[in-house]
Amino acid sequence: MSTENYEKLEKSINNMKEKLSRIYFMVQDTKGNAKASVRYIYQMAITLKRAGYNAIILHEKPEYTGVSSWLDESYMIELEHRPIEGTSLEISPDDLIIIPEIYGFIMDQITKLPCGKIVLSQAFDHIFETLQPGQSWSQLGFYKCITTSNKQKELIESVMRSVSVDVIEPAISEGFQKNEFPPKTIINIHTRDQRETANFIKTFYVKYPQYRWVTFRDMRGLSEKEFANALSECFCSVWMDPTSSFGTFPLESMKCGVPVIGLAPSMTSEWMNEDNGIWVGNRNQVLDVMVEFLHNWLEDNIADKLYEGMEKTSSQFSNMENFTKTIKSLFERYTITRLGNFQEQLNKLQETETTK
Amino acid sequence: MEQTLDLSVILPIKSAVAKDFADYFDKAIKSLKNQQLGFKELIIVHSSEENLVNHLKSYDFENLKVILVQYKETPNYSEQINSGVKKAKGKYVSFFEFDDEYATIWFKNAQKYIDVYPQVDAFLPLVIDVDEKNAFNGFTNEATFAANMTSEIGVLTNETLLSYQNFQTSGMVVKKQIIEDFGGFKKSIKLTFGYELFLRLTYNNVRIMTIPKIGYKHMNMRDGGIFWNYKNGSEVMTENEVKFWIESAKKECYFTQDRGIKYVATEN
Repeated sequence: MSTENYEKLEKSINNMKEKLSRIYFMVQDTKGNAKASVRYIYQMAITLKRAGYNAIILHEKPEYTGVSSWLDESYMIELEHRPIEGTSLEISPDDLIIIPEIYGFIMDQITKLPCGKIVLSQAFDHIFETLQPGQSWSQLGFYKCITTSNKQKELIESVMRSVSVDVIEPAISEGFQKNEFPPKTIINIHTRDQRETANFIKTFYVKYPQYRWVTFRDMRGLSEKEFANALSECFCSVWMDPTSSFGTFPLESMKCGVPVIGLAPSMTSEWMNEDNGIWVGNRNQVLDVMVEFLHNWLEDNIADKLYEGMEKTSSQFSNMENFTKTIKSLFERYTITRLGNFQEQLNKLQETETTK
Repeated sequence: MEQTLDLSVILPIKSAVAKDFADYFDKAIKSLKNQQLGFKELIIVHSSEENLVNHLKSYDFENLKVILVQYKETPNYSEQINSGVKKAKGKYVSFFEFDDEYATIWFKNAQKYIDVYPQVDAFLPLVIDVDEKNAFNGFTNEATFAANMTSEIGVLTNETLLSYQNFQTSGMVVKKQIIEDFGGFKKSIKLTFGYELFLRLTYNNVRIMTIPKIGYKHMNMRDGGIFWNYKNGSEVMTENEVKFWIESAKKECYFTQDRGIKYVATEN
């Protein structure tokens, strides 16, 4: 028995040293729609893959749409994809499995799997959605968490006390750039619920018929490239996603030089300030504030300070080099810590054998 | 050297007898003085009316370069504009009315768009229409942005014009060469002379774009104005005549020269 354990430990140590250990990233099937939270996971996985780690994408069902249509084909080619359903997942103690917080039921299912487990939390509002009352991540064997901001880290730590939280701030892709041509009379609109988009647009045309020539663009269903191009053509963006905890869309908009009129989310992102956007506290006022912005924009009456603030903020989240560096260094740290644990176990086993 | 827009503004004036003329005129000229980007010259093509001549001669235009051109024949808006264009030294020309105002940002934006879209021949402002009390009536030229009106946002096409007529030539910044090549306003065409010009230009593939910035304030139906006269004044038109001029514009746009169109009233 001890020889078997000894061999297993040695194999795990070797796997980790050789970067053969699997790092599974669970993703949801967006059915071809662009989704910043899924892109973030893919970016993390591909960064590790390119750094020599054995990163693998896990999806629920064998029929998985993939991300070729909206993100990039390279993610599908470079990264191995495996379904959970219908296959038995290969797992060894040195493997890591990273699961978004929305998959509480999967966390529950894999509690007993003998591997490293990490929660990936991008939206604080969702962390209890799929957990039973009184249930916490640590009870399910998840003692580590990766999140997107220090604010979220604080909140998570305040409720999941036994979980240690690391932060990897998302980076906005290089595809988001300012347009070389002046903006058109188009408003990007991004809401969590599509009905809200429709209501907003209909209310606008009824309340402000003099502006019926202004066009809205719902950004759903576009590839990332199309999304970035479409975004950059517009003169402003409307963002109403109160449960968002990071706010990728407004940052993408800012990077394209397009001001954002946003409903301030319940958990205001750290980067949000009065200089980089127009943040409205009351949902019912967003439309009127947007129309005021429209009127000012038509009269060239938008303060330069806003554009400067947008530039300053978006540049903080545009450094892909930093993003990949943070990912690599975090996973190196995980590997070192876990290697230390395995080595310690091995040493103990050796000591026991020697004592015998 | 300070940058200026290579533009001649053409301002035709028929009479200073119009109600509140001095006040309107002053506001119009101030809107030129207050431009955030300067321009080449203001050409005022005026009638021989003594009051008007005296007013213009005594008015303080300050730093504006003003050329007064006396139009000796019976004053006519179209012909006055055309003669102003002939005198213009700017690469671009713009048509102005004494009861209107340019937005202070207009020439600056025109220059910005000229730099970005050198292939575009004419730029229309987003026009705010007001009544005599300065109350907002609506926008003009905005239809080029409407999703169901045009295939390319902001671009005025012949197809759009055939289904919608409400576009405004005043305030437009157009290459002088375009007017020389395809002709200016046609004197014989009443009511729809601006519409006919747009149809003619777009028929000849002249590229016209509306800049999505408020560039011009236009007074609608000023008592004594050209269009007021067609509706309420000495040249009042019947519904049939209005239709005639719209249809004539659609037919005459194929001809560069003015073919001397006349409306002959017929009994129903």
